[in-house]
Amino acid sequence: MRPSPAQIALRYVLIILATAIVLIPILWMISLAFKPYNEWQTAATGVHWWPKNPTLGNFEYIFTGQTEGLVVSLDFTAVRPIFASLLTASLGTILAVIVGTLGAYAVSRFKVANNLPLSVLQLRLFPPLAVMIPVMIMWAYLGMIDTWWGLSLIYTIVTLPFSFWLMKTFFDEVPLEIEEAALVEGCSRFRVFWKVTLPMVKAGIASTILFVFILNWSDYLMALLLTRKDWVTIPVYMNALATAMSGQLYGMKAALGLIAAIPPVILGLSIQRYLVRGLTFGALKQ
Amino acid sequence: MATLELQSVTKRFDDIAAVENVSLRIEDNEFFCIFGPPSCGKTTILRLLLGLVVPDEGRILIDGQDVTYERPHQRDLGMVFQNLALFPHLSAGENIAFPLTERKEARSVIKDRVAEVAAKLHIDHLLHKPPAQLSGGERQRVAIARALVRNPLAYLMDEPLAALDARLRESTRVELKRLQRDLSHTLIYVTHDQEEAMSIADRIAIMRDGAICQVGTPDEIYNRPNSLFVSQIVGSPRINVIQGILSNGQFRAGNLGLELTCNGVAYNGAIALAIRPEDIAITDPGAAGALTAEVYEVEPLGGHTIVDVSLRDDILKVHLPGQPDFAPGQAIGLTLDGDHCYLFSANSGETLRHPV
Repeated sequence: MRPSPAQIALRYVLIILATAIVLIPILWMISLAFKPYNEWQTAATGVHWWPKNPTLGNFEYIFTGQTEGLVVSLDFTAVRPIFASLLTASLGTILAVIVGTLGAYAVSRFKVANNLPLSVLQLRLFPPLAVMIPVMIMWAYLGMIDTWWGLSLIYTIVTLPFSFWLMKTFFDEVPLEIEEAALVEGCSRFRVFWKVTLPMVKAGIASTILFVFILNWSDYLMALLLTRKDWVTIPVYMNALATAMSGQLYGMKAALGLIAAIPPVILGLSIQRYLVRGLTFGALKQ
Repeated sequence: MATLELQSVTKRFDDIAAVENVSLRIEDNEFFCIFGPPSCGKTTILRLLLGLVVPDEGRILIDGQDVTYERPHQRDLGMVFQNLALFPHLSAGENIAFPLTERKEARSVIKDRVAEVAAKLHIDHLLHKPPAQLSGGERQRVAIARALVRNPLAYLMDEPLAALDARLRESTRVELKRLQRDLSHTLIYVTHDQEEAMSIADRIAIMRDGAICQVGTPDEIYNRPNSLFVSQIVGSPRINVIQGILSNGQFRAGNLGLELTCNGVAYNGAIALAIRPEDIAITDPGAAGALTAEVYEVEPLGGHTIVDVSLRDDILKVHLPGQPDFAPGQAIGLTLDGDHCYLFSANSGETLRHPV
C-alpha cells in the first residue's frame, strides 16, 4: 500500500525530530566552540543558539595558550595531546587489528586453541578499574608510564578481544571450500589467506578498525592512569581546561571536542562503503 | 591423462572411519563415477586425491608416483566443488584466470586461455560480472571453466550439478560427457544420483559406509550386482525385494503365498529374492500360473507406466511400456519367473545367483 502524502509528511517530521534530538548536543558544542568568552561564560546573560560574534579565539587559546580578553594563560597547549591521542590510538588500533585478525583466522580455520576465544574474552569480564590499578603498577616497574609505547600497548591489549571476536565471526562465514579451491588451484596456505580470504573479509576489517579506533580514541581511564605530562591524550587534557584560576573554560572545551570528533568522522567516511556490508553480518554469502 | 590410485586407504575423523580400507584404480581417460548415499565417504575420496586431507593409512598414487604426503598445489588436479566455491570478490573472468595467475603465466597466455575456455562453455559474455550476479547454471559453468583452464592431469567433480534444476541437470550432464570425450582427460565424478551415474560414467564405484561395494561398468552394476545393496541402489523404480526361504531350488514366501522354482542355485536357507520392475508381467486374474493380486495405484509417466501392485501385505512395482489401462482396486494376475530373479543371502546380502 502506498502511504498517503500526509503519512509521508508525518514520517519526515518524525525523522527530523529524532535527528534533531540526537544532534542538539553536537550542534550546541559546535556553536559553543565559536562563541567569544562573554557569550559562553557562566555569567553571560541570555542564551543564544548561534554565536552573535563568531570568533576563533577558543581555538587560538588551546593552540597558543592565550587569547584576547582572557587573563589566565595556558602553560600547556593542546598540540601535543592531539598528537599523543592520534599516535597511541592509531598504533593501538593497528596492532589490535593485525594480531586479532591473525589469531581469529587461526582459531577459525585450524583446530587449535579451542579455549582461546573465551579466555581472550575473560579480559573484559573484570571492571576496568580493577585491572587498571595493577596494570599501572606494572607499567611503573617497566618504565612505561607516560610513554607512547606503554599507552599503545595497553590499548592493543584491551581492544584485542573485540578485534579477535569480530574478525572470528567474519572468518567463520567464509566457506571452507573456497579456500580449498584456492589450495587446489595452486596457492600456498599463506597465499590463500592473503589473496582469497583477506579480500573477502575486507568489509569486516574496515568495521573492526573503526570500532576499535573509537574505543581507543575515547579512552579516559587508561590514559589518566598511565600518562603524566608528555603523552597526555585529549580526554585527559580536557581536565586542564578547568582550573581554580580560570573556572570552566566551556568554549575551549567545545573547541577541543570539535577537533576530537574529526578523526573518527574522517575514518568513518573513508571506509563508509565497506561499513554497511561489514556491520550487516552475513553479507558474504554468494 | 593420468591414472589415479588409492591403495588400502583409511581416513578417520574423530575415530569414525569416513573411508575404510579403500583400494581403487582409475584408468587413464576414464569417466569414473563414485556413487553412493549421502555421507558414505564419496567426497572424502576426492579430498584425499586432492591432498586436502591426508590418509591415516594407505597410499595415494598419481601416474604410479606416490603423492600421499604432497600438498594440493603440487598435485596438478582440477576440481569443481559441490558449492562451486567461486571467489566472490573476483569477477567471473578473474575466477577462471585464477589458476593461471597463481602459476605466474604470461598475461597474454592467460587472456587467450580464458577466452578459449569461456567460448567453449558459452560464457564469454559474462566474464566481467561477479559471481553474485550470475544464475546457478552460469556459475556452474564458471566453476567448470576454472577447472578446465589449466589442463591438469585429471579433473575431479563433487556433485557439480546438484545445485541446478532437473532440466538443466539433464542437458548439462550430456555436455559434460561430450566435454570429457573431447578433452580426453581422466574425470572423477561424485554423485548421489543413480541416473546421473549410470548415464555418464564409463565405470562406477558404489560406496557404502566408507567402503567400496562394487566397481564396474553401468551394465555390470545393473545386471550383475554383487550384493542386495547394489541391486537396490541402481534402477528406478527400485528393484522389488521379497524375503523368503529357499530349499532345494524352491523359493517360498509364506506371507505372500508365493512359490517359485529357481534354477542354478545350491543354497538352502533364508534369502532375499529381488526382481526388476520390468521383469514382472501382469496377466488376467486367474491365468495359469499367475498369482492373484490387486492394483494399488497407477503412476502413468507418458512413455511408460509404473503399476503398484499389492500382493497380500506387500507392494510390488511393475514397469510397463505405454499407458495400459488399470484402475486402483482392479483384480489382476501376476507372473514372476524364478529365473529372472536375483537371489541374495538374507544375512550378508551377497549375491547367490544372477538371473539365468
